[in-house]
Amino acid sequence: MDTSGKPRSLIDLQEGQSGIVLSLNGGRNLTKRLADLGMGPGTRITVLRTSLFSGPVQVEVTGSKLVLGRGLASKILVEPR
Amino acid sequence: MKDNKRISVVLAGQGNTGKTSIFNYYTGSHQHTGNWAGKTIEKLEGTLYYKDYTIDVLDLPGIYSLTTLSVEELIAREYIIKHKPDVVINIVDATNLERNLIFTLQLLELECPLIIALNMVDIAKKKGIEIDTGKLQEKFNAPVIPTIAKRGTGLTELMDKVIEVKENGHEPGMIRYGREIESCVDELSAELKNTGLLYSERWIAIKLLEKDSEITNTISQIRPELIRRKETLEKRLEEIHGHDSSLVISDERSHYAAQIVSETAIMRPHRKLSLSDRLDIITTHKFAGYLVMILIVGGMFLTVFKLGNWLSSVLETVFSSWHNWWIASVGETFLASLSWSAIEGVLALVEIALPYILPFYIILYILEEWGYIARISFLMDNLMHKIGIHGKGCISFIIGLGCNVPGCLSCRIMESRRERFLTAVLVTLVPCSAVSVIVFGLVGKYVGLIWAFGLYVFAMVIIFIAGKILSKLLPGEPVELIMPMPDYKKPHLKAILYQTWDALKEFIYIAAPIVIIAGVVIQAINLAGWMPAISRFMSPVTVNWLGLPAITGILLIFGILRKELILVMLAAYLGTTEFAEVLTPVQMITLAVVSMFYVPCIATVSVLWKEYGWKRALAVTLIEILFAILLAGLVYRLLSLFDL
Ligand SMILES: Nc1nc2c(ncn2[C@@H]2O[C@H](COP(=O)(O)OP(=O)(O)OP(=O)(O)O)[C@@H](O)[C@H]2O)c(=O)[nH]1
Ligand SMILES: [Mg+2]
Repeated sequence: MDTSGKPRSLIDLQEGQSGIVLSLNGGRNLTKRLADLGMGPGTRITVLRTSLFSGPVQVEVTGSKLVLGRGLASKILVEPR
Repeated sequence: MKDNKRISVVLAGQGNTGKTSIFNYYTGSHQHTGNWAGKTIEKLEGTLYYKDYTIDVLDLPGIYSLTTLSVEELIAREYIIKHKPDVVINIVDATNLERNLIFTLQLLELECPLIIALNMVDIAKKKGIEIDTGKLQEKFNAPVIPTIAKRGTGLTELMDKVIEVKENGHEPGMIRYGREIESCVDELSAELKNTGLLYSERWIAIKLLEKDSEITNTISQIRPELIRRKETLEKRLEEIHGHDSSLVISDERSHYAAQIVSETAIMRPHRKLSLSDRLDIITTHKFAGYLVMILIVGGMFLTVFKLGNWLSSVLETVFSSWHNWWIASVGETFLASLSWSAIEGVLALVEIALPYILPFYIILYILEEWGYIARISFLMDNLMHKIGIHGKGCISFIIGLGCNVPGCLSCRIMESRRERFLTAVLVTLVPCSAVSVIVFGLVGKYVGLIWAFGLYVFAMVIIFIAGKILSKLLPGEPVELIMPMPDYKKPHLKAILYQTWDALKEFIYIAAPIVIIAGVVIQAINLAGWMPAISRFMSPVTVNWLGLPAITGILLIFGILRKELILVMLAAYLGTTEFAEVLTPVQMITLAVVSMFYVPCIATVSVLWKEYGWKRALAVTLIEILFAILLAGLVYRLLSLFDL
């Protein structure tokens, strides 16, 4: 799998891979909630943990760890870097 | 007129930053803390007397924003604006500096007198995070005091600073954002003069651009003409930045916070991975994580069982010698036997219930303080979605294993009302430590450990099925999980001991009196000759359907008060804990199943009532009674087919 390049959903990143958030499409409230946690467009995000089946992902943003539900993570578009 | 020698202080900050730890230190209280965000669900008030001052301290639930996304956030900002506390202490977690400062900026926007407590500097130091507090202080134009809440380090200086701010006043720092945002804010606030609102014009302007629903509503009522203006300005921001103006403001804060962190903090990790990260390699691993979880949770139950049995048998030998002594020295008169029955009730409570309940609480508190609960939420999120809620619901379930009352209350961490109720109902099905007394002390001890474990697995299956059905009945989409993941922390021993002591106190002050009264009532009913009548009244259910001895009828009635009473009162009534003499293994299991599900105890029902109204509380209670009786009867019939 190539590690850089075209935009993809956060859940398509592998553990240890990083990217820049391009857009968040999880609805107004959730998007705002994430932005208040420091995860807005342009933020660098690293996937720490993925989980079995369709479980959540654990990411690191602004030096803090955050767990995001799968459905939400799938609506976050990132550019791997 | 505000009292000169009185200071009001509010502790505000994101979740899991140590607010309650600081509150406890100042007010000498033992409010529960835990290493996950969302432990405190209601504001806590306390008082401190220091240097001639009476200081009222208020602990708020952790929040991440002052925009109205949740009730807690609305309450927090209303409180700060309306009550105008003398000082707001913003507790900042030094190990999550950047994220925490985003919230600090929002507090600064409120233009309240602010002091920053830079907490958890011990962990930050271990992680190699160096923060230049002097510089931070300059950037925010607010005092910054490094603290270690659980040791009390820095908390005296912090309070001295509070007094200093109160005495000398403090010009709160003003935060200036980027040029485009500031020009929009200025244009809008110029038109917001004399609104009669308590908020500053600048703050209202920011909130309007941030599309805060409450402020927008207020303004559209008193200045409807301004809404057009606001929308034009929002468009302007959106055109420049390419996304929603509410995000533009949040982003601006994030950048500001990032900028400050880059200027004031240096990261020099001693090693590549911290201890917490190394633990997480296995504890949140796709496969190994589940194995570890089963081991930890299984180990917890096994410890409770083994330790409980051992303690119980030690106490039994001690207490039985007391009985002999009582007979020898007080005699066996009518009065002596009656008073012994009261004593016996309490002894039975101590002997049967305490040995299981206490270890249960201690282990749960350790897991909470350590930070493992959040890992369980992460691992279980997927499964929880199948029953219409998300991973945080697991936190309530685990708290419910100790006691359903805090379990139901903790459901407030769920975001929507639907999920709160759904989780609360499921929590009432979680076998609490009182039920574990029956599961371990009766089934585990006399039928076999495997059956006790089996009952827990059975309860999980029932909860899952109930969740499936409920989530179908209550319409709505499950909310997605957003949860800050805390680092593992060394469990704070003092906090654990105090919290355990609380549980013990409840035993002494509530359970013991109930047992004595219940014991006397049962004796009185017995002496009055009413027992057969009551037993007969209950017997269609207890004897005919459930196959239990008639005496269980009255026990199940008392069990509504506290579930461990079922076993405790049985022991007191029989005058022995040799339950095998009166119950067959099948009856034991049947009794355990009814006890598990038949009714949330009275305290839990009253919480449901308070949180969700009497109709729902009553409905849940009635349905669970019927369900438990039906289920236990089936279990009885099924098990009777086999020879146990
Ligand atoms: N090592 C260390 N641990 C701390 C410190 N302050 C608090 N803790 C621990 O951090 C955890 C969270 O503390 P709380 O006081 O419950 O935090 P809170 O801000 O009230 O959390 P919420 O009520 O969930 O918002 C607990 O496990 C505390 O024991 C500190 O200075 N150093
Ligand atoms: Mg708290």
